[in-house]
Amino acid sequence: MAEGMTWSVTDGDKLTQAEVYGEVLSQLGERYPDLVALTADLASSTKIGRFGKKFPERFFNVGIAENTMFGMAAGLAQAGLRPVVSTFAAFTALRSAEQVRTDICYQNLNVKIISTHAGISFGQAGSTHHCTEDLAVMRSFANMTVIVPADGIETGNAVVAAMEWPGPVYIRVGRGFEPPVNKTQDYGYAIGRAITMRDGRDVAIIACGVGVLQAMRAADVLDRQGLSARVINMHTIKPIDRDAIIKAVTDTRRIITVEEHNVMGGLGSAVAEVIVENGKACAFRKLGVPDCYSIVGYPEDLYHHYKFDADGIVETVGELMRLEIEEDEDWEDEA
Amino acid sequence: MTDKVMLTNRIVLRSIMPLFKVLHEEDKGPLKKLLSGFDGVIQLAVKDSDIGAYLEFKNGGLDVIQGIHPGPDIALLFKHAAGMNALFTGGIPVFGGLPKGVWKLPLLMRLVMLLLGLLILMPNVNPKNPAKRELKVKMIMYMITNALSQLNKGGDEDMAAWTLKQPDRIYQMSVDPDGPAAYLRVKAGKTKSGRGHYGRKAPFVHMRFNGIEGAYRVLAENKDIVTATADGDIRLEGSPEYAGNIGSFMMRIQDMLLPAKK
Repeated sequence: MAEGMTWSVTDGDKLTQAEVYGEVLSQLGERYPDLVALTADLASSTKIGRFGKKFPERFFNVGIAENTMFGMAAGLAQAGLRPVVSTFAAFTALRSAEQVRTDICYQNLNVKIISTHAGISFGQAGSTHHCTEDLAVMRSFANMTVIVPADGIETGNAVVAAMEWPGPVYIRVGRGFEPPVNKTQDYGYAIGRAITMRDGRDVAIIACGVGVLQAMRAADVLDRQGLSARVINMHTIKPIDRDAIIKAVTDTRRIITVEEHNVMGGLGSAVAEVIVENGKACAFRKLGVPDCYSIVGYPEDLYHHYKFDADGIVETVGELMRLEIEEDEDWEDEA
Repeated sequence: MTDKVMLTNRIVLRSIMPLFKVLHEEDKGPLKKLLSGFDGVIQLAVKDSDIGAYLEFKNGGLDVIQGIHPGPDIALLFKHAAGMNALFTGGIPVFGGLPKGVWKLPLLMRLVMLLLGLLILMPNVNPKNPAKRELKVKMIMYMITNALSQLNKGGDEDMAAWTLKQPDRIYQMSVDPDGPAAYLRVKAGKTKSGRGHYGRKAPFVHMRFNGIEGAYRVLAENKDIVTATADGDIRLEGSPEYAGNIGSFMMRIQDMLLPAKK
């Protein structure tokens, strides 16, 4: 079994993304009297129920009716309230895509959507409950901001920041057993501004979500092999930090993206767009779920299977370093 | 001849002799005037061998070309590679006979002028003129980066092993804020030296000198790196281990070129 599955629920309770956002949301309820929360019968699974226990009069369980929930959220926002909606990512991005797009994004309404069990984090629940398309769908909706926190602490920061960020925001989190990356809350988190987790000059690994921890572990291994890897936590997929990408290309000329998502349409595609638009040549690889429906299994085993765990990243860096990226292969000394 | 002698000779021919061109380009005074409108070829070579390089004066310009010219105007022939090395490393050159074409006095005078110009590289030559000091810094930078590459291309085992394991990396030297710069590119056993800033990739190691005087103290007066760093003459950016490695190779080159210092 791959790493990560030995953690107990008790450990997870202290660390998980969902637990943190549930707690943070409860605290924000006091700061924002206009904050209301909605669930579609997943209050416990998504942790939004914590808010419900504290503020029952501002909490609405619509039952198993996600489309209705997003429509309601749009109406509440139109009425001047600050709705936060939470459900599984597959329901948000696939089942309710039309409501999110037309009811919320089209009107640029101030609705914050927190989608849990995204990517393949719901491994054993089966492919129908995996969601490897949500980033592609959500970032194609005009007005939508798309955030993929790396861990629980960052989820808390993202939820706090989203409250003051205008318009609809999509925050994507996992199943709740994701190990922490950050040691403190105060590391300068801001929506749209990537975080360089460690500097490096041979290759840049741009990651989001659980990919950040895997990238950090890979960078440690690469360091022992004498390779210097920069790790960039690209927690905001839209608006993406173009400057950080261009700097990484300029500095390293080798880029790898890591995401728990189909390699089409998500972080990798967003990064590639920036690179191409700026005319910067580099060697480039996207790691994630290839263009297929993910198989069933423990998430960590699936990360390994699809080669976006630390081992897979190290392997890909090896391939990338052997690539000839320069047309300029003239090795005559200048004299 | 030992490998070390031949390696030194390679550096002399390919790293030091090209500096004649820099001298010529940078000179604002008599040398430029002297070479203006003058054509001719001066060969420096080891007698009865293909080891050599020649200076080609043409249309007021100067090129340094590796190899043997079929009909040079002047040929300085050395008895062996070590004899040629001595001319450029502060020793006593060993000639393999009288120079050919010495009667071409105007050309000979130009060669002497150029050789005298190269004396600026010697540790005991410390010009006061700021322009000359900058020229010395620039020439040393060009020479070192080129010599590092030649060390690899010439088959130095340690250098070859060091370069072989590296991906595409740039070792940059530069003088802040906008002074001379030179770099060494290393990639899987291959090396290339270049002038100026490498523009396609950020340096893996960047030795940034604090002005010409900071660079002068380190490169020309051999101030040690630790003291120079503490004094603010140099700032090292990037991997300290690899900066240390390249510093060791620079020391090795210095020992080859200035054996009398040991």
